[in-house]
Amino acid sequence: MTDRSRIGFTTAPTTVLVDVWRVKLFCQATGETDDVYWNAEAARAAGHPACPVPPTFLKAIEGEHFSSAQVMQLLDVPLRGVLHAEQAFEHFAPVHVGDAVEISRAVADIHDKKAGAFTFIVVDTHYRVGGRPVAASRQTILVRNAVNAAQPS
Amino acid sequence: MTLALVPYPPQVELTCGPVTSLDLALFAAASGDHNLLHLDPAAAQAAGFDRPVVHGMLTMAYTARLCSSHFGAGSVRALQTRFTGVAKLGDTVKIEARLARMEGAQAVYELSARAQGGGELMAGTARIERRSAA
Repeated sequence: MTDRSRIGFTTAPTTVLVDVWRVKLFCQATGETDDVYWNAEAARAAGHPACPVPPTFLKAIEGEHFSSAQVMQLLDVPLRGVLHAEQAFEHFAPVHVGDAVEISRAVADIHDKKAGAFTFIVVDTHYRVGGRPVAASRQTILVRNAVNAAQPS
Repeated sequence: MTLALVPYPPQVELTCGPVTSLDLALFAAASGDHNLLHLDPAAAQAAGFDRPVVHGMLTMAYTARLCSSHFGAGSVRALQTRFTGVAKLGDTVKIEARLARMEGAQAVYELSARAQGGGELMAGTARIERRSAA
């Protein structure tokens, strides 16, 4: 049984710099070839102050703040039975290479389904640049309790 | 013609893959998600899968790429996905976005992803608004 007392756990915000190499690596890994993400001049020609980041990139820098694996460790849930069930982003303002993104994460909910066979853990993340909200995300993690019970860590 | 008058297409799609071990290793490095479920066949088997599992976030990144390739960087205002199935190493992933409705200036697309010859991987919605020229 996943510890419900952790509902409401919130990380202290930390700042993660959007490095040019990570945006390029993310684009390489996802097959994103649009020059606007790779080349600062192309980005400026398209009216951006610098290369923007792709829409789901912010998830990639969360780990520098407090990763979902760390959330699972906090909740004493082995990674082996864990799957990513849902993910949502809202974007309020563009984020660019060179931005310092302040990140905070919170365990919003933990609940069971199918008579305890599955536990769902909901984690909300807030991203700010210069004190202004630029995005929010919600990750829902599925814990398959049978997989973890079969192979205790 | 101003951007606001360019109609949103009823459907757009993108096929990605087949997803290789290199793709999964690169995405692990880029995303910081080094869960062995995505990288190691033995770890995948211990979790009940015959092959390493494609990161859900990689499928979602492909989906975002589908949207931004048609509507431009900065056009994705919201993206929501539910991972209803699991893509695995070697799978080809086909993503479709169908225009569901307009809400003011924003187009709402319903999303789906399927593995080639396999079941549904993902369902969701994207809220799109073309970025006006600077």
